[in-house]
Amino acid sequence: MSGGFDELIHPSTRLTLVATLAATDWAEFAFLRERLGMSDSALSKQLATLEGAGYLATERRLDGGRHRLRARLTPEGRRAFDGHVAALRAIVAASSAGKDAAGP
Amino acid sequence: MVTPDEADAALAAVERARADVAAEVGLPRGYWWGMGVAWALFGLLAEVGDPWVTTAVTLVFGAAHSVVASRLLDGRSRTRRVRVSAAAAGRRTAPVVVAVLLALVALTVAAALALDADGAGRPALAAGVAVGVLIGGGGPEILRGARRLLHA
Repeated sequence: MSGGFDELIHPSTRLTLVATLAATDWAEFAFLRERLGMSDSALSKQLATLEGAGYLATERRLDGGRHRLRARLTPEGRRAFDGHVAALRAIVAASSAGKDAAGP
Repeated sequence: MVTPDEADAALAAVERARADVAAEVGLPRGYWWGMGVAWALFGLLAEVGDPWVTTAVTLVFGAAHSVVASRLLDGRSRTRRVRVSAAAAGRRTAPVVVAVLLALVALTVAAALALDADGAGRPALAAGVAVGVLIGGGGPEILRGARRLLHA
């Protein structure tokens, strides 16, 4: 499922989550929760869905005696995201071209 | 099927997310306060020290700041909660840090000259403290504004 419109990524919350991760090398759970304004359980569920699809990887790191969860997109996840964005752009471009062809 | 309007809205959400992450690029708040204190000390040094010593120390500080800030910016975040990708961070943040430094030096000199012309006592110290407080309190915001202004 990499390349082209991606039904898994498209739902708005998941799209914002993947777009956020796409702009990072990695991000901590707390950062994502704050950025997306999600509850712990809702974010965990979204991460698990994307991880199950092979789009992201998570790791637990010990930092100052506390475990912190880091998430990052996998190469497959990045390809899927890039493909999805390209598909969205194509939809917008096709619409603009149609309007131009129709004329005023 | 997704409509063009929905696709457009989705692309806008993607860009917002990217911009939000890119805004994380910066230096820790403590770094800016350290620089602000150093700034005030330079003002004091300019009042009581030899001009050549003040110039030499300022140049060494400027060079050290450029090196340390560039290294810290390689972490690409003012917090330890995220590492911004090189693509989202852009390549021009380090030059912007140097540009901000030069602008602050110019501001300090201008403020000191204005205070001196106004007959204020200890103009270099007053200018150093004023700009030092500005750096400590608003360093991250100044850098963010400069990055936006210079599209870095």
